[in-house]
Amino acid sequence: MSEPDAAVPVTLLTGFLGSGKTTVLNRLLRRPDMKGALVVVNEFGEVGLDHLLIEASEERFALLDNGCVCCTVRGDLVETLKDIDRRSAAGELPPVRRVLIETTGLADPAPILHTLMAEPQLSARYRLGEVVVTVDAVNGLATLQRHVEAARQAAVADRLLVTKTDLVNPADIAPIERRLRQLAPAAEIAFAVEGDIGSGDVAFEGGGSEGAHAERLAAALARAEAAIAHHAHDSGCGPECGRGGRHHHHDEHAHAHHGIQSYSFVIDKPVDWPAFAQWLDYIAVLKGEDLLRMKGIVNVAGEPERPCVIHGVQHVFHPPVRLEAWPSDDRRTRLVFIVRDIPRQTIERTLIKFAAVNAAEASGPARLTAA
Amino acid sequence: MPNRNADLVVTGGRIYTMDRRQPVVSALAVKSGRIVAVGDGAAVGPLTGPDTRIVDLKGATVTPGIVDVHTHMMMGGQAELFELRISPTSSFATLLERIEAAAANTPEGGWIIGGQWGSDLIGKLNTAESLAALDAATRGRPVMLRDDTYHNRWVNSEAMRRAGVSGANKDPEKGSIGRDPATGQPTGVMIESAAGIVERAVAQSGHFTEEMDRAAMAQSISTLNSFGVTAFLDAAAMQPILAALKGLDDRGELTAWALSAMPAVEPSFMFGIAGDELIAQRDRYRSAHAKPNYVKVFLDGVPGARTAAFHEPYVADPVLGCCFRGSTIVTVPDLVRWVGKCEKLGLGVKIHCAGDAAVSQALDAIDVVRSFNGPTGIIHHIAHASYIAPQDIPRFAELGVAADLSPFLWYPTSFLEGHKQTMGETRALRFWPNQDLLAAGALLAGGSDWPVMPNPDPWNGMEGLVTRRNPDGEFPGVALWLEQAIDIVTALEIFTINSARAIGMADTVGSLEIGKSADFIVLDRDVLETPSDEIADTRVSTTYFEGRVVYERA
Repeated sequence: MSEPDAAVPVTLLTGFLGSGKTTVLNRLLRRPDMKGALVVVNEFGEVGLDHLLIEASEERFALLDNGCVCCTVRGDLVETLKDIDRRSAAGELPPVRRVLIETTGLADPAPILHTLMAEPQLSARYRLGEVVVTVDAVNGLATLQRHVEAARQAAVADRLLVTKTDLVNPADIAPIERRLRQLAPAAEIAFAVEGDIGSGDVAFEGGGSEGAHAERLAAALARAEAAIAHHAHDSGCGPECGRGGRHHHHDEHAHAHHGIQSYSFVIDKPVDWPAFAQWLDYIAVLKGEDLLRMKGIVNVAGEPERPCVIHGVQHVFHPPVRLEAWPSDDRRTRLVFIVRDIPRQTIERTLIKFAAVNAAEASGPARLTAA
Repeated sequence: MPNRNADLVVTGGRIYTMDRRQPVVSALAVKSGRIVAVGDGAAVGPLTGPDTRIVDLKGATVTPGIVDVHTHMMMGGQAELFELRISPTSSFATLLERIEAAAANTPEGGWIIGGQWGSDLIGKLNTAESLAALDAATRGRPVMLRDDTYHNRWVNSEAMRRAGVSGANKDPEKGSIGRDPATGQPTGVMIESAAGIVERAVAQSGHFTEEMDRAAMAQSISTLNSFGVTAFLDAAAMQPILAALKGLDDRGELTAWALSAMPAVEPSFMFGIAGDELIAQRDRYRSAHAKPNYVKVFLDGVPGARTAAFHEPYVADPVLGCCFRGSTIVTVPDLVRWVGKCEKLGLGVKIHCAGDAAVSQALDAIDVVRSFNGPTGIIHHIAHASYIAPQDIPRFAELGVAADLSPFLWYPTSFLEGHKQTMGETRALRFWPNQDLLAAGALLAGGSDWPVMPNPDPWNGMEGLVTRRNPDGEFPGVALWLEQAIDIVTALEIFTINSARAIGMADTVGSLEIGKSADFIVLDRDVLETPSDEIADTRVSTTYFEGRVVYERA
């Protein structure tokens, strides 16, 4: 990627009904660094941006008083984004620096992510930024438990915003944070008070160098590794986790999460890319439906200085990106999976079998370790 | 109190049940199409009442009905009932005479369809002069004639007009439109995929009505019934086939269990919707005896045409060079996709694999699906499992894959001679490692590939399995890889209970046990005691399907 900023980052904002999405969006749009943002919503009214509207220039596009543009999706997201690009190029819209898509509370974000990741007509002008998911501190825990849609939204998050924290006791925040770390171990969790998402460093990912992207990924992978290890510890699971009687505990746990589980793998030896890529194909084809999100950084055999970044949502994988350098000192292959009802053993066994992960080498077999 | 009496009792026979717990009995009783007792006179006695039909077998041998796991129904019946039958050895003059006679019996504007002309005539047919002769013989009626390979057609000017073929047409991919060497105009010779242009026009013309399809299907099934077949799997079932099977069953006229495999991709020799579109309609065509439970994937071609995919290269060839190995039509990831999708739908996959590399890839794909999705009761088929790398032999059992042994080529034939030319003799002779598969615990199932192969007679197939010598007297004194011979009991298991397992019907057919369908056949000899070189002479006297006589030898 020679020109990382050539493509407009697209942030997806989602969250269950009543989780405070709209408040967050309203607050966000008032921030100076959101200048040049274009907001895509389903309906103007639904988002409650009326007080920001200064003029409805035409049916689908509205200029907000902070200089942002609000646009309603009618039908196809691909057509909407292409239209935005066309209008922006023709000077009908102010230059678009970022796009925020706000989904309805019940929406499964996966199809929108697929469109952004794999639609060739969009890839030249747009790239997927972050998936930001709001979860409210008051009802969030119950909602996550009761509604699989809410759990699935949280599971694909890059950034989780816990809202309405001012309405609960500080002690009640910990359980929800713990639950969110289990559902989305790689996600960054932030806390909002009255929709204020706090300090300026909670910048919605937009632009930035390749190095910055990679660093965020490295941080996310490290978070996942820590969260999953921590969870194993919490559950009374040591290195032998998943065996014998303790397994039962895990299964119950999975049940409470609608079968959603997360795994993290570290592979010490460089990975044979063709075999690994084929394995990715296989898991996408055979388990795509239950592969809610997967991301990772791969130490490719023969290219020790140039790791490969992979990123998938269900059966759709972003074309792998080769980085120019490692984002941190950790040069091991690290993979994070958030899945529904895919046993850890299935991933482990097939990685070993088809991705040549534990091929015996002179220095001993590669180690596939659970974090 | 309901009537407990059996509808039918057969006694006094030597009944091979193919049930290892009770392999030989003398009597069985049937009620409502199901077997209600198996044993001796004492077992059936209490079920025999005044309204019971009693058949004294007078010592005759009985076996379960034959299960043929690889057929292509309807084609045979169509040819028999509605098509002009010409021997492939006919001269050009005879060919024209027969066509002219057929035209006289065909209403104006009606299609004349038939075959097969010898493919050695192709040069002669591919001229403007021959086309003119064909046009004269048919007097305006469209005609389409297949060759003996089923790959090519010869059609007249009216047929080309209806199919939209003219001098302006470019050759289709993987085919060509024959052109006169002098004029460059189409001659009506349609090579490979070009055949499809005219076949499609015939299919769309409504020439074959649903009623004709049903009659053709009934005719085909009745041919199989006469050889003792009471269950089959149609290995490339397009919509008209599915409709004919369902249509017959709805009318109570289906005389065999009819499994079918819907092609994942439109095959080169059949026309219409295929793949997802066809599969989506499967339940429309499901009935008590008609079960579209499989999907067919063609992974490669045939060794004789160098279109089968092998690990080692074919013999050097001026066109293909030194190192051509053939290739598979579907990639492993695509095959993984198909197998995965089918398992999700509860469907088995029958994979055509003529070369050993195709076999490896099919097993690889199934291995991938098994590794991700775990075990399932669905049994996939490697069709024509004949050239198999030694390391792949144990994988059949490991992966629970059935070896579809079809067609009957496990003895010297002209096909084998063709393989010797393209593969070299040593490799060509390592054909059908049946004993090795058996020893490795593979599920072996028997199939005829009829009428693509002219012989549907399972007794011919079984003799070949046992002797590895040509039962028809061709290639006398020569056996093919004799170490791979198996015994007659195993051969009979392959064509009955094992095939029943392979098609997922072992709880209903394949052996004579209480609760199973009363599908059994009376033979003219004790096939287990017959000298091995006479097994092929076995004739079926009577075929019972659900306790009803569906074939009786005149």
